[in-house]
Formats: sequence, structure tokens, C-alpha cells
Amino acid sequence: MPRESATASKTVLSSFDQALKDLVKALRETFISPFGFVYIIIILLGLILTILRFTKGLAGVTNLSDYNAWGIWIGFDLLTGVALAAGGFVTSAAVYIFGYKKYHFAVRPAILTGFLGYALVIVALNYDVGRPWRMPYPFILQQGTTSVLFEVGACVVLYFLVLFMEFCPAALEWLGLKKLRKQLIKLTLVLTIFGVILSTLHQSSLGSLFLIAPSKLHPLWYSSYLPIFFFVSSVFAGFSIVIFESALSHRFFGDKMDEALQKGREDLALGFGKAASLVLAGYFAVKIFGISVDNHWHLLGTPYGIWFLVELLGFVALPCFLYAVGVRDRNLTIIKWAAICTVIGVMLNRLNISLIAFNWHLPSADRYFPHWMEIAISVFIVTLGIVAFRIIASMMPILHDHPDYND
Amino acid sequence: MSISRRKFLGWLGVAGISTVLDKRVYAASNKHFSGYPDSGGVLYDNVLCIGCRDCENGCNQVNELPQPDKPFDDLSILDNKRRTSPKAYTVVNRYDGIKDAKGPVYRKIQCNHCLEPACASSCFVKAYTKTETGAVTYDSSVCVGCRYCMIACPFEIPTYEYDKALTPRIMKCTMCYPRLLKGKLPGCVQLCPTEALTFGKRTQLIKTARERIRKYPDRYIDHIYGEHEMGGTSWLYLSGVPFRDLGMREDLGITPAPELTKGALGSVPIIVGLWPAVLTGMYALSKRKEKIAREEKEEAVATALAKASAEAEEKLSKVLTEAEVKNQTAIEGAVKKALGKVADNQTKEGT
Amino acid sequence: MKKRRSLIGLAGILLTVTIVFIYTGRAHLAQEPSGYSKGKRADIVTIDIMSKFGPLERSEVMFLHDLHTETLEKKKKDCTTCHLMEKEDPSLPRPARLSLKFKRHKDLDKQEVMDIYHNECMACHKEMSDEGEKAGPIEACGECHLKETNVSSSQQPIILDKSLHFRHSEANKDTETGEGDCALCHHEYNKSTKKLFYAKGKEGSCRYCHKMVTEENRISVRLASHQACVDCHRKKLDQNKGKTSGGEHVAGPVKCSGCHDLKNQQEIERVKDVPRIKRNQPDIVLIQANGRNPDKQKSTLKMNPVPFDHRAHEQYNDTCIECHHESLDSCTKTCHTQRGSRDGADIQLERAMHQIDAKISCMGCHETKQQDKNCAGCHTFMAKNRKHIESTCLVCHMTPSGGGPENGQKPEVFAGMLLQTRSVLKDTYSDEDIPEKIIIGELMYQYGPVEFPHRKIVKTLVSNIVDNRLAGYFHAEKGTICQACHHNSPETKKPPNCTSCHGRPFDEKNPLRPGLKAAYHQKCIGCHEEMNIEKPSPTGCADCHKIVGLPQL
Repeated sequence: MPRESATASKTVLSSFDQALKDLVKALRETFISPFGFVYIIIILLGLILTILRFTKGLAGVTNLSDYNAWGIWIGFDLLTGVALAAGGFVTSAAVYIFGYKKYHFAVRPAILTGFLGYALVIVALNYDVGRPWRMPYPFILQQGTTSVLFEVGACVVLYFLVLFMEFCPAALEWLGLKKLRKQLIKLTLVLTIFGVILSTLHQSSLGSLFLIAPSKLHPLWYSSYLPIFFFVSSVFAGFSIVIFESALSHRFFGDKMDEALQKGREDLALGFGKAASLVLAGYFAVKIFGISVDNHWHLLGTPYGIWFLVELLGFVALPCFLYAVGVRDRNLTIIKWAAICTVIGVMLNRLNISLIAFNWHLPSADRYFPHWMEIAISVFIVTLGIVAFRIIASMMPILHDHPDYND
Repeated sequence: MSISRRKFLGWLGVAGISTVLDKRVYAASNKHFSGYPDSGGVLYDNVLCIGCRDCENGCNQVNELPQPDKPFDDLSILDNKRRTSPKAYTVVNRYDGIKDAKGPVYRKIQCNHCLEPACASSCFVKAYTKTETGAVTYDSSVCVGCRYCMIACPFEIPTYEYDKALTPRIMKCTMCYPRLLKGKLPGCVQLCPTEALTFGKRTQLIKTARERIRKYPDRYIDHIYGEHEMGGTSWLYLSGVPFRDLGMREDLGITPAPELTKGALGSVPIIVGLWPAVLTGMYALSKRKEKIAREEKEEAVATALAKASAEAEEKLSKVLTEAEVKNQTAIEGAVKKALGKVADNQTKEGT
Repeated sequence: MKKRRSLIGLAGILLTVTIVFIYTGRAHLAQEPSGYSKGKRADIVTIDIMSKFGPLERSEVMFLHDLHTETLEKKKKDCTTCHLMEKEDPSLPRPARLSLKFKRHKDLDKQEVMDIYHNECMACHKEMSDEGEKAGPIEACGECHLKETNVSSSQQPIILDKSLHFRHSEANKDTETGEGDCALCHHEYNKSTKKLFYAKGKEGSCRYCHKMVTEENRISVRLASHQACVDCHRKKLDQNKGKTSGGEHVAGPVKCSGCHDLKNQQEIERVKDVPRIKRNQPDIVLIQANGRNPDKQKSTLKMNPVPFDHRAHEQYNDTCIECHHESLDSCTKTCHTQRGSRDGADIQLERAMHQIDAKISCMGCHETKQQDKNCAGCHTFMAKNRKHIESTCLVCHMTPSGGGPENGQKPEVFAGMLLQTRSVLKDTYSDEDIPEKIIIGELMYQYGPVEFPHRKIVKTLVSNIVDNRLAGYFHAEKGTICQACHHNSPETKKPPNCTSCHGRPFDEKNPLRPGLKAAYHQKCIGCHEEMNIEKPSPTGCADCHKIVGLPQL
């Protein structure tokens, strides 16, 4: 017995050793490369701005005001980030709940994207919130359960844990901890179901956040259906981000992808593209119904109405159509562009609701435009995500299967 | 992967319970909160207001706010429209040239201490409390600084200390809650020379306001702002000119803010309750489809195999029979040959 | 290739749809009308005559009348360019006038009317534009039938008050006999013969018959006044063209802005002391509750009558119609009887006399007179719907001496007698009775005591009203004017002081009673504001009291 465990721990130690070597290699690959230089600059700038943020306060790095309490850290990093990280639950639901086993290879990259996405959301919140060290307070001190934000926070934290647990098997394989990994794999279905529930809740609740301010949001964007709009758009955002991310990975990490992934890409794009087209069509329909229910047709002729139509026709109807054409013609390029268009559309929708159509009634002197430092910090946060993805994808069995495991 | 049913349901239960954290979510009801009994309020009457800014002074002193650049009796500051700020819980604005107004009209801006405050509803750490005195107070010791209250407030009142790096707070009028507890008046009310600010029970203030309108119908607009707006506020307004001419929004409606998010929050337990069933159902469906597909495949394979083996057997037996016949013939031939040879040999020897 | 084309095709359709939406949105923006000046004008005539024939197919036309008059003037053309002359009708008590309609006498047929406007307007515009001059629209419908314009009307109604009436009657007097030519404007309508005729002694305001809208045969007051006034002015100006050297006033304006522009109105010459119009009106009237009974010797007075100085009231008002709003008859004759009648819209005599928020009633008019700055300081703060004290009623409803007129005494004479006995304010209490200065020394925290110039203020208030008969009658008792500040207490030489009633603020039992500090400030500052007193200003705290300490919080 003791002899067996000695061998076992020896194997673990040797795996750890190997893991460390992988990490160093990945780091070197990422940073000592033509683009790596850019990463270093952005990260350095980000660190400087972080110091500024915590010495000069929000006034020193943002253009936030008493009229505009939420800026791009919420509008882009939080709202768009969460919407685009929906790839995780969408893919795992497709594979484990709806039984699309042929997309199995896409689950890990999607989960990683989701996991990093939510991690970055939490990082961004640490910048935006006034006293980030107090973020656990709503859970441990006083629960403000009348607040939609409480529900968002609880679900995001729980979902982050779910994503972490779904991501762990890949890390554990890399570290060689077989027993723990086996236990975790058993939980996959439960975690997936739990993940879908939590995703439904917090994706829709991010929309519900704005239900409390009907007087500040333009009537074309304000609707009692906001939670439904946010949830449905997160679904096709998830599909699109997975397609987009697989295209990017193919371009930049092609050497790390295994055969299953290479061959399955086309199938994935077609399948997810079809699904995205369908959901986009449904979303378009409910948006139209939303206008009809409140009888806001006449608003479509106003300047904001034109902008609304740009969002609806150019970034919902158009990608819906493009996806359908791409799937029919099996044209991956069109599908890729449809995915990009959808992702931009979802970002546009979130920015419209939180920044552009929000406070639309205020004079332009009181309106908000981000400070360059806010943009720089957002870029810094996104860069952290990209770098982390690179490193993890090159070290761990994300884009390929680990040879020791085949279940 | 295989998991026992019991284990599966067990995990689901834990998952479900941990997402339902509030057990007191009221379903859509016709409850209407009209304030704590005897809760206080302030009636601001801009017909009596002379724009002297003594109220701002009183507020500044009571709350120990920093001294402004220009003193409070410098009325040139009224040339610009201001809003509440971290250093000024209340401001007075002057409006000139309003139609049918005899002279400049003033408006005092401060927290309206709503009966069902949007800030309190939106705060996820319960930093706001609607007290029984009517004041809506803020507890900076738990505030995380998410600023959702600033988004939620329809009157755009809460302000934030953006320039503080480590201790930023929301700054807003407190109706001088500590003074109210001691039976004193709020600072602004105390100093107002013309009693444009009247403090009293909210129910009484509404009666007083109605009485003023009744007595002087040509001096007042027949509306008490705050009686019903956003479900009712503790700070009530009387005006001699239309409220919208003073920048006070008349399109806020009478629905209290918590009502606006009630539906969305109420759907949380529904999702938590139904989704597991729905998703498990989809899983079961897809599993069943797989199973049927597998069974059909197996059946097809078995049939094919059976057919193939039957054919093979037939062929085998045929070949075997052939071989046996051949063998037999060969044996007989060989025997005959051997016998012939023996006979030959015998004949040869016999001679 | 085919697929790419279909892609481009659909993208193009989407783009077109978006652009269409943009343009339909823009269509709602106000269009810039050609040649129209922005802002306010007094000469806007809304041409919506087609609404007579059914719902309008296009928006009404904002026609700028003075612009056209001036343009035609420059071309030496006159009103007859567009307006046709009526046929002379000898049965009418007045000469023929220009029709107010454009190039027609009657609106007969929808198509005909439309054609007249379109053809005539556009023909003239075309003619002018052919000559190289700036002209109105020629072809595009939307250039006249604008959806939104940025001109708005600054038209003020013009009132023919007694000064203007006097100038008109003087101008049209027969220079030899001195007889006025009232028939020029005043007429009545005989329903049986269906003709207009002049009834001497029955002249009244045009508005007694000509109402806001045209009813069948009876044109609206707008049409009537333009026909009567503008056409007469036009004729006079025409007749005297070239005869005067300019600068002499021949006739009134013919252009819209001449009468309806506020500045021009303010420049109309006003006659200072207009001689009384002769219309057989009474000098003094005895307003009794039960109407006159000329047969009885002694009128049966059922309650205190009101002796009414009609002649004096003629001086106080600019027109008769301010009180005689339907006819020049007595109020109670057929309309506002004691019990009310259908003719008077069931408004009883009591209401006609006393309705305080109706300017047309006695009390209502007196109430509006209190808006004068000499009165407003106190009277603004007296609620209109207050309960009046009995002594106020008795100022008008005088107790009849001897119970009523003597046998054979005419009511008017009796009324005149009563009027003589009505008391009026002449002066106030003697100086010993009025404290000179009051030191208001309560509530001293931030501000020091106030030296209140009590006697000076009392004397000023009295001198402000002593020349005003209305004020004089109602303030006949010396102590009444003290109630300006010493309110909610009886009229007396020694009224209570402020601190008797005003103390702690926000008393639940007396929610409408301000505390002492606010009582002072509301009364003082309120009065100063209403009386337009600049110093002390409402926010000039130091004007009244010196700062001695910090505010008490």
C-alpha cells in the first residue's frame, strides 16, 4: 500500500514539475513575441492607471458624474462582458443537456472563455465600485434582497464558481491530479443545469437593473420585457462568441488545436449559426412586439428612433439573415462575419441601454463620454483576458484532449 | 458518466435552495404603503420662498459640510442652475421669465424622502432605511459604492464623492434625522425666515397644502407635487407656476419604484423551480433519443450479423460436403489403386 | 456569384428602408417657409374657409395680410385688387362696403372657392415673379399649406373704449349742426322685414348682436368690425389722398398691425377727459331687491337697497360693456332678476352683484381694483373666498333712513340722498394714539432688533388711499386700515400685537398660522413685494436688522 501511494505521489510531483515547465514556456511564448511587446505596454499602463485609480479616486480616472453614475466599466466590461461570456453555458447546455455530442470539443474553449470573461467582470468591478473590499458585504452583512443587483451579484458569484468547477478538470489533467478530476467530471451534468439556471437568472437580471429607471431610459429601449430581451440576446451572443472565438483560435492557436477541433470547426459554425439565426429571428420579433405593445411607432422617426432602427435592422436583422445564408451555402466566411456583426450588435445594445439611450433627456452638457483612462483600463482588462486565454490554452488541454484521458 | 438518481436529486436540491435566498418575495399584490403613521414631512411653498438661501446655510452648518467658495448670502450664485453635490445636500435655483409669473420663482432641491424610495429598493446591501420619522437615511458604513441608487433615483438626487479614493460616500439630504429624533427641526426648516418650509406630519401637511390652494386659488397651481409622484414623497411642493417650468418632472407617474422591479424579482423563484424540471426533461429526452438510436443501430447490426453468419454457415456446409465427397472419391480411388497394386503383386509372385 | 448578388441585394433593401425611415422622420421637422419672417406678427390670417365644406384635405394657410398690403402699396395698388365692392343697397342705413372675402361675395361652391384662391393667388405671384420680383409660391402645394410654421400671432384685440369712441363721433359730426352721425355704425335688425335700420336712442355695443362666430345671417364681431371700421378708414384715406400734406391724422389704420399690434395700440392717442356719452342713462340708481313698481306710491323695500352712483362709475370704466355685457338695459330688467331667469342663464341678482371672482360683478370689479399697488400689500393676502364681515355689506347696502323713499319721492332722488350720508375716510387717529416706533426685539439670535417705523407706515398707508373713493368708503372707520397688519381681530383703536397669537411655528392645532418669525417676514416682505417697494428688498436682511450673531440651529 505505502509503496503504491509513494509511486502515485511521485507521479503527481512529476506532473507538477511538468506543469511548471509548461507555464514558463507559455509565458515566454506569449510575451517574447512581436505582439507580446504590445501586451507588456498595455499591462504596464494598466498597472499605472490602477495606482491612479486607488490614489485619486474615480474622479481622477473617469468622467463619471452625479448624473452619470455608471460608465463604460459597467456598460462595456460588465454588461457586454457578461453577455459575451454566455458562450459557456450555451455550449455546455447544447452538449450535455441537449445531447449534441459532436460539439464536445468546443465545450472547453467556451468554458474557458466564459470563465475568463466572468473573472474579468469581477476585476472590472473592483475598479468601478467605490469600495471593492466591501463587495462581500451584501452576502455576509446585510442582504438587500429587494435589489435586482443583489440577485445579479449572487448569481454571478455562484456562476463563477460553477464555471471554475467546469474549468477545473482541464487544469487538473494538466496537473495530473487524476482522482480529483474524476470526482469533478461526475458533476458535469449538475453543474451544467445549475449553470443554465444561474445564467438565465443573471443575464435577465442585468436587464432588470434598468427597470427601476423608466424616466431615464428612452422609451424605445425601456420595456417591461427588458429581462427577456437581455436573456435571449445573451443566447445568440453566446453562439456568436463561440463561433468567433473558434475562428480566432484557428488563426492564432492553430498549432495547439487537435484534429477533432480542426475538423469539427465547420460543423460547429454551421450548427451554432443555424441556432443563432433562429434565436435572432425570435428576438427581432419580440422587439417589434415590444414597440407595438407600448405603441411607440411614432418614435421611430425621431433621431433616437433612427438609432434604434440601426441597432435593430443592422445588428439583429442583418446577422440573422447572414447566418441563414451562410448556413445554407455552407460559407464559413459569411458565418464568421455574421458572428462579428452579432457580437458588435450585442455590445451596441448594452451600451445603448446603459450609456447612450440612458439619460437621453439631459442636455448635452450633462451627458457622459468616457475618459481615455477609462478606455485604457478596459483595454487593459480585456488584454489580461486575452493573455490568460493564450497562456492557459497553450498549457492545458483546452484546444486538444489530454492523451492520458479519453472519457 | 454515471450518477445515481438520489445523488443527482440531492445536488439539485442544494443548488435550488442556495439560489432562493429571500423567502419573503411578495407576489404581485395590491398593497400600497402610504407611510408610517405620524411620519413627518416638509412642505415647500415656492410662493412664499424669497430665494434667500438661508436653508442652504442651515443645512451646511448642521451637517458640517465644507464652506462654499461664495457665502450663502451672495445671491449672484442663483444666476446659474445648480444641482445637489457632495458639498451641498440642498440647493435653491431661481427661474426668471416664467409665463404669468410676477417675478422670479424659486425652487429648492433636496432628497424627497419618498415613501417607497427607489434608492432603498435598489441598494443591495440595505444601506438606506426609510425611518419612521419619514426621513430616508444612508449608512455609509456598509455602502460598497456600486452607485445603483444614483441610477434608480428618479429625482437625480444622490451624489457621490468621486474624488475620494478610499472612503467615497453617497451624500444626500438626511432630513436631519438625528435632530428629528431629538424633537428639533431640520436645519433648512429652522432657518427659513418666511416658513416657505413647513415641517409636520405628512398627512397634516397635505391638508394644509390643500387649504392654502383653496384659500388662494389664483396664487397656487392646484396640485401638491409629491402627494402621489413615485408612490408619494415626504417632501411636498406647492408652486405658483407649473412645476414643469421649474424643471420638476411631471411624467414620473405614481408607481413606486419597488413596484417596477417586483415582477422581475418575482420571476426568480419561478425560474429556479421550473428550470431544473425543464432542463432535466430535455436531458432525458436527448438521452432517450440516443438510447433509441443506439438500440436501432444494435438491432441493425445484429440483423446484419445474423444474416451474414447464416450465409457463412451455409457456404461452409456446402464446401464441407463437397470436400467430403471429394475426399471419399479420392479415398476410394486410392483404395482401388492400392488393391489393384496388391493384386498385381500377388499375380507376379504366384507365377 | 449569384449568392453574393442576392446578399448585396438584400443589404441594399435594408439600407433603403433605413433611409426611408430617416426621411419620414425628418419630414416632421418644421419647414422653413419661403419669404416668411420668423417670430411674432399681428397680421396672420388663417385661411381655412374650406372647412365649411367638410374636413380639410390640406392644412390651413397662414396668410400674412400686411405683407400683401404693403407689397401692393408699393405697386400703387389698393384693397380693391383682392376685395370686391358690395352692391349699393339703399335700404341699408350705411353705404356699400368692400366684401371681406377674397375676390368673391359669397362662398357658394367648394370647387369654385378653391379655384378662386388657387388661380388668383398663384396668377398674381406668377406675374410678380415674371417681373423679377420676390413673390409667393407658384406651384408647390406644401409651400402655402405648411404643416408647421415658425411664425406665431402677436395679435392683440382692439377695444373701442370711450376715448376712441369720442374721437370717432367727433370726426363724423356734421360740422354745421353738430349732430353726430351715429347711424354710420350703429344699427338694429328688423326680423320681419329682414332689414337693418337705425334706431335712435337704442345704440349699444356691436357685441350685443355680433358674437364670436357668424350665425346664419348675422356676421361675427370680427367680420362686422373689419367691415365697419377698416372699410371706413380706407374710404376716408382714399378721399383725402393728396389733400393733406401728411402728418395730419385723417383716419385710423387699414393695416392689421395698425390696430392689432401692441406697440401701435399703445401709441393711439387717448383723450384725457372724455365728455359723457349721451344715451339717456341715469346719474344715480337705487338698486332694490324687488324691482321698481312705478304704480305704487311707496316702493316696498324688502331689504337695504344700494344707492348706485352710475355717473361716477361711468368715469371709472373705459367702456359700458364692462358691466352692461349683454345690453344697456338695467341688470334686473329681464335677465338677472331676484329669482333668476332663463334670459340671465339662471344667474340671480345676488350672484350678478356679488360673485367675487367675476370681474363683471360689482364685488368682482372692486376686488380687482385691490390689485393696485397701493392696495395689494394687504389685499393680496386676503383670500377671495373669505367670509365678509357684515359691516362691509352695510357700506353698499345702506340702511334706508325713514324706511324708504317718501311718498312720491323718486327712487333716484332717495338714492342720491343716501349717498350723501355715506361715510368716507378722511384721516386717521391722532399721533398720540399711534406709537411712533416699535422695537421688535424677539427672536434675537443672528439678527439684532428691528426699529419698526410704525407711525410712518400707518400714515403712508392712509395717504395712499385717502383720494380713492372706493377705498375711502370701505376704510371709513379709522381702525380698519390697522387691520392690514393687526388682522384676524376686530376693528379697534387698540388692536392686539403680533406676539399675542403668533408664537411657536408648526402648531398642529393651528396649521395655517405661521410662527412669529414667519409672521413678521410674510407680512412685511409680502407687503413690500406687492407694493413694489425696492428697499428693503426681500433678501436684504441687513436692510431691516443688523447681524449680531450666528443663526440658531
